[in-house]
Amino acid sequence: MTAQPLLPKNAPFTPEEIDKLNSVVARTTPQQRAWLAGFFAGFEAAQAGGAAQPQQPAAAAKPRQPLTILYASESGNCEALAMKAKKSAQKHGLDAKVFDFADADFALLSKAKSILVFAATWGEGDPPGRAVDFYNALMSDKAPRIEGVQFAVLALGDTAYAQFCATGKKIDERLEALGGKRAFARVDLDLDYAKQAAEWTEKALAELAPADDAGTATVVHVDFKGAGFAPDDDEPQFTAENPLTGEISALVNLNGTGSTRETWHIEIAADAPGFSYLPGDAIGVLPENDPQLALEFAEAVGLGANGEVVQKLRERFDITTLSRAFIESYTKLTGRTDAAALADQKAFTEFAEDRQLIDFIETCAEKLTPEQLFSILRPLPGRLYSVASSPKAHPGEAHLLIGAVRWESHGRKRGGVSSTYFADRRRVGDPVRVYVKPNRHFRLPEDGNRPIIMIGAGTGVAPYRAFIEDRAEAGAAGKSWLIFGERNFTNDFLYQLEWQDHLAAKALSRIDVAFSRDQPEKIYVQHRLWEERADIIRWVEEGAHIYVCGDEKGMARDVDVALARVLAEAARGDDEAGRAKLKELAKAGRYQRDVY
Amino acid sequence: MSEDKRSKNEFIKESSRQLRGTIAEGLADVVTGAISEDDSQLTKFHGTYLQDDRDVRGERGKKKLEKAYSFMIRVRLPGGFTTSKQWLALDAIAGTYANHTLRLTTRQTFQFHGVIKSNMKRTMQAINAALLDTLAACGDVNRNVLACGNPFLSKAHAAAHKLAVDVSEHLLPQTGAYHEIWLDGEQVQDKTRPAKPNEEPIYGTHYLPRKFKIVIAVPPSNDIDIYAHDLGYIAIVDDAGKLAGWNVTVGGGMGMTHGDAETFPRTADLLGFCTTEQAIDVAEKIVTVQRDWGNRELRKRARLKYTIEDRGLDNFRAEVENRLGYKLGEPRPFEFTSTGDVIGWAQGSDKKWHLTLFIENGRIKDVPGWTLRSALREIAEKHPGGFLVTANQNVTIANVTAKAKPKIEAILKEHGIDIGTSLSGLRRSSMSCVSLPTCGLGLAESERFLPELLTALEDSLDRAGLKNDEIVIRMTGCPNGCARPYLAEIGLVGRNPGLYNLYLGAAFNGDRLNKLYAEDVDKAGIVRLLDPMFARYAKEREQGEHFGDFAIRAGYVKATTGGNRFHADLELVKSVA
Ligand code: SRM
Ligand SMILES: Cc1cc2nc3c(=O)[nH]c(=O)nc-3n(C[C@H](O)[C@H](O)[C@H](O)COP(=O)(O)OP(=O)(O)OC[C@H]3O[C@@H](n4cnc5c(N)ncnc54)[C@H](O)[C@@H]3O)c2cc1C
Ligand SMILES: Cc1cc2nc3c(=O)[nH]c(=O)nc-3n(C[C@H](O)[C@H](O)[C@H](O)COP(=O)(O)O)c2cc1C
Ligand code: SF4
Repeated sequence: MTAQPLLPKNAPFTPEEIDKLNSVVARTTPQQRAWLAGFFAGFEAAQAGGAAQPQQPAAAAKPRQPLTILYASESGNCEALAMKAKKSAQKHGLDAKVFDFADADFALLSKAKSILVFAATWGEGDPPGRAVDFYNALMSDKAPRIEGVQFAVLALGDTAYAQFCATGKKIDERLEALGGKRAFARVDLDLDYAKQAAEWTEKALAELAPADDAGTATVVHVDFKGAGFAPDDDEPQFTAENPLTGEISALVNLNGTGSTRETWHIEIAADAPGFSYLPGDAIGVLPENDPQLALEFAEAVGLGANGEVVQKLRERFDITTLSRAFIESYTKLTGRTDAAALADQKAFTEFAEDRQLIDFIETCAEKLTPEQLFSILRPLPGRLYSVASSPKAHPGEAHLLIGAVRWESHGRKRGGVSSTYFADRRRVGDPVRVYVKPNRHFRLPEDGNRPIIMIGAGTGVAPYRAFIEDRAEAGAAGKSWLIFGERNFTNDFLYQLEWQDHLAAKALSRIDVAFSRDQPEKIYVQHRLWEERADIIRWVEEGAHIYVCGDEKGMARDVDVALARVLAEAARGDDEAGRAKLKELAKAGRYQRDVY
Repeated sequence: MSEDKRSKNEFIKESSRQLRGTIAEGLADVVTGAISEDDSQLTKFHGTYLQDDRDVRGERGKKKLEKAYSFMIRVRLPGGFTTSKQWLALDAIAGTYANHTLRLTTRQTFQFHGVIKSNMKRTMQAINAALLDTLAACGDVNRNVLACGNPFLSKAHAAAHKLAVDVSEHLLPQTGAYHEIWLDGEQVQDKTRPAKPNEEPIYGTHYLPRKFKIVIAVPPSNDIDIYAHDLGYIAIVDDAGKLAGWNVTVGGGMGMTHGDAETFPRTADLLGFCTTEQAIDVAEKIVTVQRDWGNRELRKRARLKYTIEDRGLDNFRAEVENRLGYKLGEPRPFEFTSTGDVIGWAQGSDKKWHLTLFIENGRIKDVPGWTLRSALREIAEKHPGGFLVTANQNVTIANVTAKAKPKIEAILKEHGIDIGTSLSGLRRSSMSCVSLPTCGLGLAESERFLPELLTALEDSLDRAGLKNDEIVIRMTGCPNGCARPYLAEIGLVGRNPGLYNLYLGAAFNGDRLNKLYAEDVDKAGIVRLLDPMFARYAKEREQGEHFGDFAIRAGYVKATTGGNRFHADLELVKSVA
């Protein structure tokens, strides 16, 4: 640790001013101090000679070293981290450029001097959808060597998944294999990544920063006639760490009596200045666990009588996700051999099969102190929901559409934490903690005259309600076509009356439906796509944007295949031709997916 | 020119291009399970009604869902006979597209409930693939033609069934709309009925002013309730046992409106006699007179029964004979003894056996321990003899050899089905209409309520020792009279949820209407009123006296001598605490 650069008491300022100044300079990096020095030099010069003719720099200007920041992101976490990193890179005297994997290529890689990567893992250990192409290229033997290029990788993931942070890990290995020089060790972060990610980024940047830069001032030319600095860009004010407490104003199960489904329409009054979202964004929710489960959990570790512990378990900790990571730390803590046995890959996968944390705790029950318990539990992660309302239509509100997750296994009735939090444990008037999760990769076309094709099954219809409301409010003239799928027409036609109104008002131009269980043969949205392919192609030729939202395994995959086949037919080519066309559309932002 | 006073339906029919309307377009609209109001009037002619599940009406709006629409489909089945193969087809349709039940109706046919719009075409095509159809099962046309119970009992019965089929075919609408809309223009396999688009020699552009119903009876059984229908034929068998011809009856009907004395049930009048050769011609001419004379301004009073009330029977006969070009004969003597079915085994002239099963309110379904639908399916699979739907919502398993009898009984036993012989006489003689939740007109429960009411009344009957006496009881959820309640010794007609009007004094053989005895009675009230009557009836009845006749002799109600006296001579009991 180097001594902090504090102004002495006898500096030519009032004590208050000295304190104020110190409160800033104390935290400055060498680069920042160098910049300040240069800044004042430039300022004096400007005062003396007038800003007209260029100034002689007080010291020879060193070119700022370039930094290439890459992110592979689906729901935007890595993207946000990359943007933050770009800002602090400035402080470290780095000239950072940020690229989405979706837009990256080999040229970029070859040119790079040093590389900072933020990579998320999706599916079952897969790269995020938009990142797949460049990721595969990077892994292929066509990838260029990057001899001596410095790099550091941050991996985001979720210990709930078997392939924890797989994508980040593979990228990290690959960059080294291509001749890169690891400037800073990779971290693999769980859902509660915020704090560690910030610290890691600072350290990594420090490593990547040109060391010799420190101390030497570069005159900074300031045009005092021009406006000052660009305002800080749009970081959401309410986050998982700092949520807004809204109030539930409506809570309805949209499925008719007798349905095999349970899908809740939820309206949240979230009327706060900083709380703003756009159709296509997700709303984050911080749920609470089932109190009964929290109690059983506490009892299993001998803390059932401790009300405070039970409350904390309910409110703050993830007491459902069974991960190897947890079993490992539990084993370390308790030294139990039966626990150790379950940490083995094979044994774990067998045991974990529709089991949850409670099953493990009860199997390897051990008395713990509150401190021990909390030291091995991870915080209760927030859940994301595609916003189902347009702020234009419902100012100060955010609407969600949530499918209740319930199942029974090993003689225990189980429910998803967040979905049953709303379905079973929230009532109208109750508070709920929410934040906005922007998603600039699922947006209506800027041009309201563009046709849009919206494909979704089940809760996947949520963002389309927001889209159509938004276009209705804006009086957008573009055609819109909804292709919706569920199980049964009579009881599962989510928002049916609203679609009828939108059709009547011409805010929605066309709707097609696929109800899988109304007839002997199963009919899904992808079948409708194929039946209607002539019109799909016509719409695409007219410039339509295609949206897909909902379950990845259950629907989005098949839709993707169907779309490729439709486009292939149009191009009179094979499926590959269709795939290519689909990629093209995706690159142009005309094929956007919001899948989970 | 004075303004056109014709009822709304007349305009709908007129502009429908022979029942096409915009049905096809409506079926193609996937955002709603309904069709337009006007089209839903037209689909009736095609044998189907738009309905919605009234049990869930309350919740739908909140859930942003429209009403839980579905369609009821009624099969056209003159005489009520299906082959075993057809039975299997209908059963499969019920399981695949409908609500897993088959509903036997008071007019000898099947109804499917709960078919959603997107399955309508498939369902109609499946029905037609079984060589059945639904054309004119509803609407302002001649409906399904009923024929006395069992054609296999005697020559006369067989003739009655043949006449039913022939009249039904003769009076079918000829429009091509049905085939275009439901069968994508294809013909039904049976080529005897090529569609002649836009050509209705009998009905014209406006069809009839109202529904029209024909039945054919073979005395002494009046199981088809001849006095309840627009047109009836009574088989007249001469002393040699040969079929001489038919007495013709006209002007029967049940439907009325609460609180509107201008509407009333009416027992049919004897019009005359005709031979089998003349029978179809007679039907056609009667239909055309009603077509031209019937009231097209007031649908409430558009049935033939009102035409005859208003114009007089003699004028009507004169016009019919004028169109026939010959006079009808004098009605011949005949006698009816009962309206019910004989539950259990019966042997036909050909020595074959026929088993009539009691089916509570005609609903064929499976419930744990009582799997009627499966039982009948199994019988249809193993037994080729076919089935008969009776006008009392029961079913007859027909043409069973003596050898096969025990097999049939075994199957029924396996599925927990009692033939019905051990049931109380009251239950065996009971019928109820559908009403809630599918019927849009129901004011009170019917099918879902009658069984428990009967259970309560059976206690009284047991005490009175009347368990085995046949007393005809019928319930409907509204005054339309779908279970012919005004011809029941005990008639119960819904007025409000849980409340019924109680009618007494109809004839056991169906030739006299009952009369209102008490208004707005609930379950307890009904039992309270009937319990002492049963006790008295048991003690005071004369030899062979039926409960309906006793109710009059004992002074509970005055006899109703004709439809126009139905609302007269009322002495309602007040005290129903
Ligand atoms: C299914 C059935 C009752 C049953 O439990 O079996 C029935 C059911 C209905 N009848 Fe009926 N009627 C049925 C026999 C009758 C009878 C009895 C008969 O014909 O022997 C009558 C009394 C005789 C008569 O016509 O006068 C009858 C008189 C009516 C009326 C009153 C007609 C009138 O002239 O006032 C209506 C209402 C209407 O037509 O406006 C009606 C209307 C209806 C409708 C279609 C309600 C509607 O119009 O929306 C009911 C459908 C309920 C449902 O969900 O299934 N139904 N209906 C019978 C089907 C017969 C068939 O297969 O064609
Ligand atoms: C960007 C995005 C948008 C989303 N939008 C929506 C939306 O609009 N609407 C919506 O409803 N959801 C949406 N989701 C999903 C949502 O975030 C939650 O994942 C979902 O609500 C389940 O959360 P939960 O807390 O109720 O269940 P959890 O407590 O997270 O439990 C879910 C887990 O339970 C286990 N599980 C579930 N069912 C079974 C079973 N039958 N057998 C065995 N194990 C099982 C699985 O491991 C599953 O991962 C979205 C997700 C993302 C990432
Ligand atoms: C459907 C889905 C699948 C996921 N699969 C994995 C996985 O296999 N391994 C993992 O470590 N994390 C997985 N995650 C967790 C994400 O990597 C994690 O949420 C990350 O913060 C997302 O970053 P992003 O917003 O930049 O995409 C998954 C998340 C979701 C919603
Ligand atoms: S009597 Fe009334 S309630 Fe019963 S089925 Fe007929 S119309 Fe419906």
